[in-house]
Amino acid sequence: MSEYKVITVPEVAVIKEIKKEIEDTSTFYLEFENPEVAKNFKIKSGQFIMCTIFGAGEFAVSLPPSPENDRFHISVRAAGKVTKVLHSLQPGDKVGIRGPFGNGFPFDEIKGKNVIYVAGGIGIIPLRSSIVHVLQHRNEFGRVIVLYGARTPQDLMYNYNIDEWRKIEGVEIYTTIDSPAPGWKYEVGFVNTLVEKAKVPVDNSVAFVCGPPIMFNSVIKDLVNRGMREENIISTLERHMKCGIGKCQHCAIGRTLVCTDGPVYTYKQIKTLGEQI
Amino acid sequence: MFLIKKNEVLKLAQELEKSYAVYGPVVEKESGQAFLTKVDSVNDIDLNAPIPALPPKSVVFPQIEKILGYKYDRNSKNVDIKMVVVPQAKAIFGLRSCDLAGIQCLDRFFLGQEFVDDVYLLHRKQMFIVTNTCTKPFAQCFCACTDSGPSAKEGYDLNLTDIGDSYLIEVGSDKGKELCEKMGLQKSEAAHAAEKVKVVDKSLDSFEKEAVENKAWISRVMNRITTGFIKPQVWEFIGDQCFECGACSFVCPSCSCFNIEDFNKPDTAVDRMREWDSCSFEGYTRMAGDHNPRKPIEDRRNKRFFCKLSYSQSKKYLRPGCVGCGRCAWVCPGDIGLPNVVTYVRREITEREINE
Amino acid sequence: MNYKAGICNFCGTGCGHLLNVEDGKISGVFPSRNHPVSKGRLCVRGWHIHELIRTDDRLTTPLIRKNGKLESASYDEAVSFAVEKLKGIKKPSEELGFIASPRSSNEENYLFMKLARSVFKTNNVSIQSESGQRESLNVLYKGTGMAGMLGSIEEIKKAEFILVVGTDITKQNPIIGSEIHMAAMNGSTVVTICSRKSQIAKLSDIHLQCKPGSKKILLAAMAKGLIEKNLHDADFVQKYTEGFEGFANSLGSLNDGDIESLTGVSAQQIAAVVKNLSEAKTAMAFFSSGISGLDEDTISYIYNLFVVAGKIGKEGCGVNPIAGIANLQGTYDMGVAPDLLTGFQSIKDAETAKKFGKAWGADLPVENGKDVYDLLAAKKLKGLVVVDHDELIVRQQKAIDDLDFVVYFGAFNNPFTELADVVIPIGTYVESDGTFTSTDRRIQLSHRKVEPVKGIQAGWQVYSMVAAKAGAKWNYDSPAAVMAEIASLTPNYSGVKYDKFKGIGGIQWPCNDKYPQGCPRFNAGDAKGKIKFVSVSANFKGAEKNTEFPYLMMTGKAQHFWHQNNLMRRTFIPMREYNATLLLYPKGYVEISPEDAKSIQVRDKWPVKVVSPYGSMKVTVKVTPDVKSESAYVPYFIRDMISEFLMEHKELLEQGEDAIIPVRIEKV
Repeated sequence: MSEYKVITVPEVAVIKEIKKEIEDTSTFYLEFENPEVAKNFKIKSGQFIMCTIFGAGEFAVSLPPSPENDRFHISVRAAGKVTKVLHSLQPGDKVGIRGPFGNGFPFDEIKGKNVIYVAGGIGIIPLRSSIVHVLQHRNEFGRVIVLYGARTPQDLMYNYNIDEWRKIEGVEIYTTIDSPAPGWKYEVGFVNTLVEKAKVPVDNSVAFVCGPPIMFNSVIKDLVNRGMREENIISTLERHMKCGIGKCQHCAIGRTLVCTDGPVYTYKQIKTLGEQI
Repeated sequence: MFLIKKNEVLKLAQELEKSYAVYGPVVEKESGQAFLTKVDSVNDIDLNAPIPALPPKSVVFPQIEKILGYKYDRNSKNVDIKMVVVPQAKAIFGLRSCDLAGIQCLDRFFLGQEFVDDVYLLHRKQMFIVTNTCTKPFAQCFCACTDSGPSAKEGYDLNLTDIGDSYLIEVGSDKGKELCEKMGLQKSEAAHAAEKVKVVDKSLDSFEKEAVENKAWISRVMNRITTGFIKPQVWEFIGDQCFECGACSFVCPSCSCFNIEDFNKPDTAVDRMREWDSCSFEGYTRMAGDHNPRKPIEDRRNKRFFCKLSYSQSKKYLRPGCVGCGRCAWVCPGDIGLPNVVTYVRREITEREINE
Repeated sequence: MNYKAGICNFCGTGCGHLLNVEDGKISGVFPSRNHPVSKGRLCVRGWHIHELIRTDDRLTTPLIRKNGKLESASYDEAVSFAVEKLKGIKKPSEELGFIASPRSSNEENYLFMKLARSVFKTNNVSIQSESGQRESLNVLYKGTGMAGMLGSIEEIKKAEFILVVGTDITKQNPIIGSEIHMAAMNGSTVVTICSRKSQIAKLSDIHLQCKPGSKKILLAAMAKGLIEKNLHDADFVQKYTEGFEGFANSLGSLNDGDIESLTGVSAQQIAAVVKNLSEAKTAMAFFSSGISGLDEDTISYIYNLFVVAGKIGKEGCGVNPIAGIANLQGTYDMGVAPDLLTGFQSIKDAETAKKFGKAWGADLPVENGKDVYDLLAAKKLKGLVVVDHDELIVRQQKAIDDLDFVVYFGAFNNPFTELADVVIPIGTYVESDGTFTSTDRRIQLSHRKVEPVKGIQAGWQVYSMVAAKAGAKWNYDSPAAVMAEIASLTPNYSGVKYDKFKGIGGIQWPCNDKYPQGCPRFNAGDAKGKIKFVSVSANFKGAEKNTEFPYLMMTGKAQHFWHQNNLMRRTFIPMREYNATLLLYPKGYVEISPEDAKSIQVRDKWPVKVVSPYGSMKVTVKVTPDVKSESAYVPYFIRDMISEFLMEHKELLEQGEDAIIPVRIEKV
């Protein structure tokens, strides 16, 4: 069964709704103009698309889960030249989509295990799709733990989701901010401190880690120290991308191309790539 | 195998001109430089011209080209996207064997791997390749070190070798055979094939005397570069000499990195252009939001040579990434073309001698 | 054959390249291997010149401002209107100014200058950007009679000793930097004098990392060392020069004991360099002047040092100022200065004035003009004519807004048009023939490569049109005819004509009866009379710092800052590289050493406040071992914040690269 992919010429999608998440990050709900495309465009959590903002350029953005009960959407921070133009668009404007590219999170392999999510800042975006999937199939997994940290309470994303998740039986949510803030009732400290606090299990467990490189390194260190095996630590790597199909080589790390071999890698693979992430 | 008289060899090109856009080595008058370019007339083709300055990838992967055009009207929300069309199939007449190896690397990279690059395919499909054996190396050549010459072994439609008063034509594909039969060319005999072997041997023997500029003992360093067991000071020494101009990637026949930008035109139309890019640039890996994982210049040099000479990258090309053409050595302002880098790595040179 | 030979139009090196012309558009560039200067190399800007030239962002029609808005007009309408308004200025010699572009071709600059002087009767003609090059030319002209580099880039490989003073040459003129590097690899001794560890400093044999602001003292110390140890070239000095005693005596006031504390360089290091310079048979000095370069006094010391060492006037030798912009040297050669006519001839010289007046059929204004920037600042001007503006006008926007009438000639769309009353488009340099003179006096002919964009005329045609509307009949049928006139009026260019340019490589002036194919260098025998030592100030005070302002802050051109201007903005990859440094430090940066960062208690990318006697600014810190302790470095004009701060120090900055601002750096 070959997967449907839009490779070179983008498919047009309409912005249906825009929801502001935090200061410079918004979620854009999209719908393909061509119903055939909408039907065939199946996404695996962990994959990404190349989104064209007409007149400005293209950028890579990670994808939402398969639309089982969620609309096709992307959450984007206004970080560079093209994403800034995206944030100036209104519902009704159109964008171009190419994809879906990359490998996805290995859900089949983690059935029956404890699943731990560690996210920093906007790193929650690529993980959220996976969290939603796991929560929708809750009884296929063991303990489900979400560790999420940001600099300040204003930088925490998906608050509405997190509040829902806190209410679910059998899901452990820990949130933290870097330094104390008035009105904050949860943890204080960097994200890696949550690893101990939550008493993260290391046997029969899998950890998904996503965040800025500094946070990534400290979290990995703490997980490994607790005994977590390197092939059970999974992350999604980011790189500057231009083509998304493994040709322009902007996303190369050592011997691998993040757009085709990744973006999901285990820590064991990351260690052998030959370059720093 | 066929034969054609030396003064009639351009008739092959004339025959090709009927159905292809012909590219061949032409010497530009004012600068005296040989280029591989679309010929105005096949009589301009000079099979004895030195190795063309421009790498052959410019035929299938131009320096800057339009890959898509679109028009987006923000008011009416109308989008119109069109892919480009390449009007005529191309033929290259007189390609050197090292350059052919470069095209093969690009083929395996763009058309193999997980996805097929549609735009490259447009240029490359139905292309007719006629290679030309080098009867003697040029000063900058070192194809003997990279197993890419002096005569092409595969991947061509026709291979020409100058064996005195005529050219031996080896057929490499059905297309090639059809062309020769259509032209009614004389079939060659065993003696001619033997002559070719002599010509190639003579060419290899003259490397010592003629190809004096570059020597690169590549097989010795592939292991070190793959495993990374090289002192960082060596890369710092190399990085200090890099002028970050990108020239090495631009002239390399097997380098394929590109950049894509949308150029706004006056009438709201937008051209999506693809142009050559180089991993020597600092901005090549910089992400929006400041993180640049490959910022120090020595890391970028390390990456380039990893890409050219490591085993893992060579697997993608099914041969070493370097084809021994010697172009990077003469365009580099810092004198760190591949042959020099191979020497520095092999001998662990970390600084030059200070002149008194 | 789509590739056509040409010359790069970015910096003053004048590299040869070939442009790919497909379907009437430039679609590629490739280096020229046989070019004597570039020999197959190009820098990142040169490799992307096609991005710039093929841009659609052009001025497509003449424009006239009506009721505050710019509206399309025909060439006829726009030119007539402009001429009428310009002629209406009552006192052109005081109230009208012309600013030429150092990227225009020689022919265009010549006609522009001729227009100003013979048609509109004003000598207020200036160049924008890097007008500091004039200081270098003044020194060399005073000393040898040659207003240009004394050596030749081709001969760098023959120089056994190369001195690079101040300029970050591998980033500003990469190919000249490359030549110096190749010479070093082949055995030449390269010495760099620079307060920062620039790339050329890393590639040199000896790097004298002197204290900011002390280059002049260091050079004087070297000259003193040469003379006192009798290592100077006494024969040369005696046979060819005059003024030696005066120079030697002036060095007496430099106290040996003070040298190390003033410069931060030890006596042994200086002695080693002096020995190298003396023992080398050939030597060259490279530096740049102007905004990011040295002041006239420091240049004079470099020149005198090399004269006393006998290292000018023969093969492989020379004192070589580097021009940062393509035709900067040519623009001076064409007399774009308030007091000059072509070939550095003076307006005040009666014979010259008569010669030009006769050739032009018009009386020239007699008095020297004034620098247009000074006139602008003094609010004296009423009218201004500008060509392809680059950058500096940023400072003077208010003053220009207040003028009565502004005319803009240009090829590309440009925010400057917002300030203009009439906008007249001209072609780019590939749309007509033209010669360009690179920094080593190399006149190179660039042929037309593409047809002009529809309706647009070439610069030389437009200027002729303006002259015609003003009543002067110039009968040029081609740029070749313009060059013929230039050759007839300029002794150094007298042998130059278009059909002499065969192949590539150009002709280096002087090109006259003695040197019909041009001459690569200044030859000692060519000086009119003796080679002179130029006068220097014997002011050996170091930069002032004190406990309140303990850091010496230098300004300079940052790694990828190449004329913050129109050209760079239209490219993609060079702009991305320029941004690579910028976006890491979006508010600009100040470089300090790791020791200083520790003592101020800041880390890389932390904000700091920089305070000087005249002002302060908030900026990010970049920690790097490239600067020494107690010195700081700020890239020039990268961001408004920095430029506003630097504006307060205008007088200090006029000293060029050695401008030092004593500052205090505080954690925020």
